Amino acid sequence: MGNLLQLLLRNGGFVTFLLVELVCFAMIVSFNGRQGEIWANTTGIFGGRALEKRQMATDYFSLYETADSLAHVVDSLQARLANARQMQVPVRDTFFLVNYDSLSKTDSVRRKTVRPQYGFITARVIKNSISGANNWLIINRGSSDGIQTDMAVVSQAGIVGIVRHVSTSFSLVMSVLHQQAKISVSLPWQKNAFGSLTWEGGDPTEMTLRYIPQHFVVKENEPVVTSGYSLMFPWGHPVGKVVGVPKPDPENPYFLEIKVSLQQDMATVRDVSVINNLYNSELDSLQLKIKSNER
Amino acid sequence: MNGSSITPHILRFIGLVAVQSLLLNQMTLTVGAYFNVLLYPLFILFLPLQMPAAYLVLLGFLIGVTMDATVPSWGIHASAGAFAGIIRGLAFMPFAPKGGFSAKDPIFSPANMGWQTFINGAALFTVMHIFWYFSVSYFAPVFALEIVKKTLAAWVLTMVFVALYAAMFNPKK
Repeated sequence: MGNLLQLLLRNGGFVTFLLVELVCFAMIVSFNGRQGEIWANTTGIFGGRALEKRQMATDYFSLYETADSLAHVVDSLQARLANARQMQVPVRDTFFLVNYDSLSKTDSVRRKTVRPQYGFITARVIKNSISGANNWLIINRGSSDGIQTDMAVVSQAGIVGIVRHVSTSFSLVMSVLHQQAKISVSLPWQKNAFGSLTWEGGDPTEMTLRYIPQHFVVKENEPVVTSGYSLMFPWGHPVGKVVGVPKPDPENPYFLEIKVSLQQDMATVRDVSVINNLYNSELDSLQLKIKSNER
Repeated sequence: MNGSSITPHILRFIGLVAVQSLLLNQMTLTVGAYFNVLLYPLFILFLPLQMPAAYLVLLGFLIGVTMDATVPSWGIHASAGAFAGIIRGLAFMPFAPKGGFSAKDPIFSPANMGWQTFINGAALFTVMHIFWYFSVSYFAPVFALEIVKKTLAAWVLTMVFVALYAAMFNPKK
């Protein structure tokens, strides 16, 4: 060790200089405010660029999976498109049927025959929580994108929540993992018997389905979909499947208490669609009449 | 180096640190930001010409870190001092006789080299040290113009003080 030091001191002027400068550099950025800030800022910029490059590389390697998943989406959309375009519309006062391209026309015939009820607005989740007793999400779409309160938010896999507050560019979404969220769902294998899905806290992958009458024989792994009765969610959107054997509801023994495993993992939800019910105001005014009749 | 030949260097070290911290640094605070005189590298300049570069770097670091303790500006003067140690040989190279400096020339001083050679060598050595000092002090290339302006101002002022020092003490070893 001593010999090495001697050798370094006799011949290693430049190496000694580099080592000493390294020590000086550490001192400069550690003990001098201005230089420390410049250094932190510089490393932050380069660190950010490095992270960005790494993300690009990761994205590149997951392209195959993304392409595969998009191919499925394209398949399903093409099927729906093909089914939607060709409709047979009866000509008034005759028994003649004519082929009608439902997507290329926007006149009253289309309105009466196809009557689209829902519009979809794509969005991305930018903030999410699942660990609280009541959880919320923020999405990157707001009133300027056509978002209004009480619109449903879904993902391709399942249900996500309901829009509660809207700003110009963002919206606050009450997650399905919120104890006030009640989603009307149905069991398609049970002639669309419908009930109400709520979250009781705890496990963020499981919700409880109530108000399915006792006479239905509900089996494990039965699919659960949205019922279409809530005005927000369209009929048939996937929700999850039944877990375990349904038991009688202790609070109301005429009905079953069914545990439902959510198809959408709320911890990883990112790309979502906000559903705009085009007849919302019309249906709302009808519901108000129900209330006024009951008074 | 025997005991008696070390003494002038130790005295020079103490004297230059004292003058730099008690007088010259205070003058910068009083006169203005462009009044910078960096005299303490004369300690490295007047170290024996035969001394290995690694020792010059370590002694440059030592006087620099001592200056840092008085400001305080931890690492900035130390870095510039170590830099002065490594570039001293480079700065004196154009003025070295054929075959390099011999034991007859103990230090690079007017008494040994003549005034013209001394001023030229000291000017080259000083400007490199001052440029490194301001580069490390500003710490970002965006201040390049400011670094150059301050280096030129400090170089002229420092050379006046270097000539005064050499005239007053006329060091021989």
